[in-house]
Amino acid sequence: MITKKVSKKDIRKLLGTWNQECNVIVPSRVDGVVGMAAWDNQDISFLDWYRNTVIPPKSCFLPKSEVMMSFKKNENGYNLEVPTNEHWQVIFGVRPCDARANAIIDHVFAVTYDDYYYISKRRNTLLVGLSCTNPYDSCFCTSSNIDPTESEYVDLMFTDIGDDFVIEDFTGGGKALLNMSNTLKKVTKADIDKIKEVKAASVSKIKKTVDTENADRKLGSLFNDTDYWERISAKCISCGICTFLCPTCFCFDINDEMIRKQGARYRGWDSCSFRSYTRMPMENPREEKWRRVRQRVCHKFEFFPMNLGINACVGCGRCIRSCPVNWDITQVIAGLPAEAGIKSGK
Amino acid sequence: MEKELRDQAAKLLEEGTVDYIVGFASGTLKHTTTPLITGDKDETSSLVINPFISNNLATYALEISGRLGIVAKGCDSRSIVSLIQDKQITRQDIVILGIPCSGLIDLKKVEKLAGKERDEIDEVVVVADKVVITVGSEKQEVPAAAVLFDHCIGCELQIPQEYDFLIQGPAVEIRNSEASREKIKELKQMSPDQRWSYWKQQFNRCIRCYACRQVCPACFCERCFVEESQPRWVSPVSQWQDNLIFQAIRAIHVAGRCTDCGECERVCPVDIPLRSLSKEMYDLVGEMFNYKSGMNAGAPPLMTAYELTEVESLIR
Repeated sequence: MITKKVSKKDIRKLLGTWNQECNVIVPSRVDGVVGMAAWDNQDISFLDWYRNTVIPPKSCFLPKSEVMMSFKKNENGYNLEVPTNEHWQVIFGVRPCDARANAIIDHVFAVTYDDYYYISKRRNTLLVGLSCTNPYDSCFCTSSNIDPTESEYVDLMFTDIGDDFVIEDFTGGGKALLNMSNTLKKVTKADIDKIKEVKAASVSKIKKTVDTENADRKLGSLFNDTDYWERISAKCISCGICTFLCPTCFCFDINDEMIRKQGARYRGWDSCSFRSYTRMPMENPREEKWRRVRQRVCHKFEFFPMNLGINACVGCGRCIRSCPVNWDITQVIAGLPAEAGIKSGK
Repeated sequence: MEKELRDQAAKLLEEGTVDYIVGFASGTLKHTTTPLITGDKDETSSLVINPFISNNLATYALEISGRLGIVAKGCDSRSIVSLIQDKQITRQDIVILGIPCSGLIDLKKVEKLAGKERDEIDEVVVVADKVVITVGSEKQEVPAAAVLFDHCIGCELQIPQEYDFLIQGPAVEIRNSEASREKIKELKQMSPDQRWSYWKQQFNRCIRCYACRQVCPACFCERCFVEESQPRWVSPVSQWQDNLIFQAIRAIHVAGRCTDCGECERVCPVDIPLRSLSKEMYDLVGEMFNYKSGMNAGAPPLMTAYELTEVESLIR
């Protein structure tokens, strides 16, 4: 519920207060690439330029590579050491699409399976959402029933209303964060009106839409249509960009590295786009490119809805923005049956 | 140019000369294009030629079976020739639809100049040797060389040398091979220690998506060394050391095949300046062997031929 607001000029102070108690992670440009990184306790210029990250926030819980355990040979065998994650972190600036994406990956690592490495980071994290008021032309979150200014998957939600951010709190953790600060102000009737205005305007800025209704059913009936998938996949170059930058893709690979009797077990991102995917345990059942492309589309829009009743695509548009060949998933979903239509506001 | 290309492409499909046309169509996002692969002559009406046709379509010649009509800029035509030299494709199976190219727009440079991101920029129009960037009511005119890709500034082949049909059109020569090597010069001015830490930092953020390899027509190995597991040459774990080794070996592997099309650098999602490596290799190949890749379909591939006059300062 909406309770407080904070002046933009006090954001540094607010983040500073939190940073004394836990690690504050903010949108950062590291060597020109936008991702979530530790705040330097000073710079809040991201408030001016930040739209969304290139590297999705899933990397805070499922990094591109992480140590699962380190080992060293001794006289009796091996000494094993498993990393711990006891520190708390606050991720500031999570967009509603990515917040939903985190909730989707939670199903994989924290509901259907208790993954120590994921949970140990996730449970110590508070998410502070930031309403999306300047989406990209590739964003289509509204088609996944996401409002770019609302989220039920964050602890706090900030919405820019001009000089201030209006704050909505949803959880005890969020309330605790607010209680730590003395820089907050009460919201007025005018602020409530303003936030409604901003929210409506933000929704209307999402121009790309695609009808995802019944996509699972349509994909199910198309599954064995080889010609269709060959045509759809023709221009795909089988790189891993769409899957690695997808906030809900979670495939990983595990590798042991050992030099001179000591080393570590690593876990890192893997991609169903790769021909070498799952070649380690056996063979890749999806040798042909069209099978791999079909897997990605069906996983998002058929298998996830079948198993969990929700599309695993949140419409963040990263796979479209970064694709080397402009392979656009919305075109594929829109093109499933002839009558479906895609409206692009370009 | 577009009309001539579309007519020619439609004719090739209609006559049955080719099974597929591989060209460019408008992309779904602002200022983008997308590869168009079609066997339907009606779809050739969506073929476009504009300063955003970045992809090197030669890469598709490797995987699509059948006779192909490929739209090729100068650099792409060189990649096709290089593949013919390496016997990866046969000349008879390919119809090269050559197009003149005055250079392609590097959107990252435009974004930097405009202070806006791609989708916030309304128009980017090339007018002779100038480019006009429009954002809202503001127009900014800059020299074309300021917003063309680095590899385009150093382009050595504005009009394909090898082709079956050449689409007529202007090809403005904006050659500045010095400016095209700006980044490399910067790196060479660093001390070895500085350069080492520079590359360490760059490869630290590599996510091992292999887009650089996948877009590269010169990377045609059926089995890439990086995925070999018995024995394993490079760790699949994304760490700067292995990321760097992967890229260093790739750069050496494509020496003599790389035509400096710049795709590896353009597609990198984390902006690693990969062309600094490939272009340096390209220039070294020229310097040491007096060889330019993809310029002569009849010539043997660089690494399979030996001339008595070749430099052997390393082996005595």
